[in-house]
Amino acid sequence: MFKLTPSKKRTLFFVAIGWALLLIGDRIGELRQYQGSFVAMYALAIASIILLTGYSGQLSLGHSALMAVGAYAGALSINNLHLHPAIALVIATFVAGVFGLLLGFGVARLSGPYLAGTTLALAVSLPTLANQFPILGGEQGVVFDVGVPPARFGENFSQYKWFFWISTLAVLIMLWLISNFVSSRYGRTFRAIRDNETAAALAGLNTGRLKVLAFAISSGMAGLAGGLLVMLISGVSPSAFPLSLSFSLLTGAVVTGVYSLRGVMLGGLVLVAIPEIADSLVTRIGGSEGFTATLPGFLVSALLILAVLFAPNGPGKLLHIFKKHS
Amino acid sequence: MIRNTRMKRFSIVSAVVALGAMVVTALPAQAAEPGLTSSEIKLGISTPLTGTAALSYGKVPGAMKAYFDFINANGGVYGRKIKLVVRDDKYLPTLAATQTTNLVLKDGVFALVAALGTATHSKAYAAASLATKKVPDLFVNTGFSGFGNQTKYPTTFTVLPSYAMEAKIISKFVKDKFPGQAVALVAQDDEFGVDGVNGFAAGSLTLASKTLYPQSSMTDARAKALVTGLSAIPGKPVVILFGTTDVTALIFKAAESLNLVSKFTWIAGSVGGDANTLLALGVKTTTIDGAIAASFFPDAKDTTDEYVKEFSKINSKYNPGVSFDNIVLQGMNSAMLTVQALRAAGKNLTRAGLIKAIETKGSTFASAGLVPLNYSATSHIGYNGYWMGQLNAKGELKPYGGTLSVVTTDSTSGPITPSTYMRPSIPKNGIPTNS
Repeated sequence: MFKLTPSKKRTLFFVAIGWALLLIGDRIGELRQYQGSFVAMYALAIASIILLTGYSGQLSLGHSALMAVGAYAGALSINNLHLHPAIALVIATFVAGVFGLLLGFGVARLSGPYLAGTTLALAVSLPTLANQFPILGGEQGVVFDVGVPPARFGENFSQYKWFFWISTLAVLIMLWLISNFVSSRYGRTFRAIRDNETAAALAGLNTGRLKVLAFAISSGMAGLAGGLLVMLISGVSPSAFPLSLSFSLLTGAVVTGVYSLRGVMLGGLVLVAIPEIADSLVTRIGGSEGFTATLPGFLVSALLILAVLFAPNGPGKLLHIFKKHS
Repeated sequence: MIRNTRMKRFSIVSAVVALGAMVVTALPAQAAEPGLTSSEIKLGISTPLTGTAALSYGKVPGAMKAYFDFINANGGVYGRKIKLVVRDDKYLPTLAATQTTNLVLKDGVFALVAALGTATHSKAYAAASLATKKVPDLFVNTGFSGFGNQTKYPTTFTVLPSYAMEAKIISKFVKDKFPGQAVALVAQDDEFGVDGVNGFAAGSLTLASKTLYPQSSMTDARAKALVTGLSAIPGKPVVILFGTTDVTALIFKAAESLNLVSKFTWIAGSVGGDANTLLALGVKTTTIDGAIAASFFPDAKDTTDEYVKEFSKINSKYNPGVSFDNIVLQGMNSAMLTVQALRAAGKNLTRAGLIKAIETKGSTFASAGLVPLNYSATSHIGYNGYWMGQLNAKGELKPYGGTLSVVTTDSTSGPITPSTYMRPSIPKNGIPTNS
């Protein structure tokens, strides 16, 4: 009987998920494919927050800005450098990562509310800054067009399926890389810093350098998510990255359980499903449009409170507790 | 061991997610013409209902619904009732893209109407694949001339005159009426403002000062700094405000607090010159008194106008509690154009037929606009002209100099000519009977 190493198991697991998603993609309608692409994109963005907050103990309220950096980098590589969309997504990841690295150096000494405040300021100011540079296209922004699906997939291969394939594949690859990363020595050192920075430093870890590294990797992931987001809405503009996006992602991370990457898909599902649930609720009980407009916010807030009260470590931990008691 | 339970839990969660997604069955195969039954036509609108843009434009869907309800109560369109599905996009591109996609894929609307905004709708158009799905995209509320590009937006018809047209017409007006006076331009730094800036250049207006600002960045303090800077220009400079109403209000209020209102001759573009909204945003009546604005509609307070009269009657019956203003007028007018377009497409309604009908008959539709409608197979831009008016303290826009002079032009270098357009009178009781 041969035994699989954990890393091989992980790889097999991701391949299996990819295979399942491929099958699912064929069996769902265009709307679900489109929503599925958003779920994947949000899952990645949430994973970037979990890596930063849950694994390395740093709090960022500015991830929408980091996504915007990746999004603009990707859009400009397609529009101005005429690069292939796949390369553009890699560039989005890379540029946001480098941006995060520089930012990480700047904020490495900050922690807690100071770090949160700094990143918040970034999220508030970056969209306005983007308006200052003509190359970024002002309020109208830059088009991000991945083009029509290749002809060899046949005529019935819709744009939405293409989006679904690109998003899920990009996200799976990224999450596979990250899940390997957090199971490595780096993952353990990150957790050591999160749990007790002084102890970690005494044990010989270069905490400053590691925190900057975590920030850079998290930014890179956010950058890829940003690139995917603007692919899905076919263009990037400052208003696509409002402050509320940062907060939604943080909510998704809290609901998922901020200490573990395992439930990120759940977080993505929650963010996409809430407006849907609000929609069908309103249709069922017959409320006005104003009601539909405000209900999602209410549901998200309620979920956030419930998550903090009853499952602060995520639903996975909750299952664990139930198992213990039974 | 730990890793195994973790893996197990991980697998369970993923399996549940995967199963959940599989349970969701494929959407039913689309009928030949979605959103259409023998008794109903389903239309959709994605527009801000919440957020700052909703302050002024949030009234559009209500006004349109009111007019459709009125038509439904009077027999509908060839027996079909119109249902308007409204979705809130908060004026954010991401939401505009997802909500428009929802309208097309989930609600299965026959056509879209009166979407708002350039940055929002240009993304929504591509994300919802409106071109490949051939979804008619009627009477979009933007003057961005880019939507006239029929290769990129084959199913779009805009309703507002282009911003470039407006800028050209304002340029000529300023040169004619205020010769020798310094002119300062304050414009929003996006497609809307830039379209305008190009128009001012095409109108060869000499500018003593030009300020471009991002829409979201104008604050009280910046407005004050701007007005203070402009006050250094000698004489009584003409200040052209080419931005949204909230920014016009900020600048007006800055001038009020600096006591500089009467130092300038104020001209507000049609987008940022709605008196009702300005007053609601706290601008003093004495400030707007005398300000100049461009418009292509009759003033919503002009009760002698037959369209205004009929629409306000419908508004008070079907849209109770909402005061009749320029935005309601605009919404009702777009709804009336929609009904005429649906009628013109005939009893055998199809998406392609609807687009064809607007191209061939759109220019003859009855509408409140005082300038001609320009729809044809080669032009999908609606109104193409303006008249210049002056606001009084009550917020009524009266023709500048007492007589109404409507001019028409194009978005590029064409001449500005007085319009000979005779507006068709409103269909009897406000119910179109065209075919």
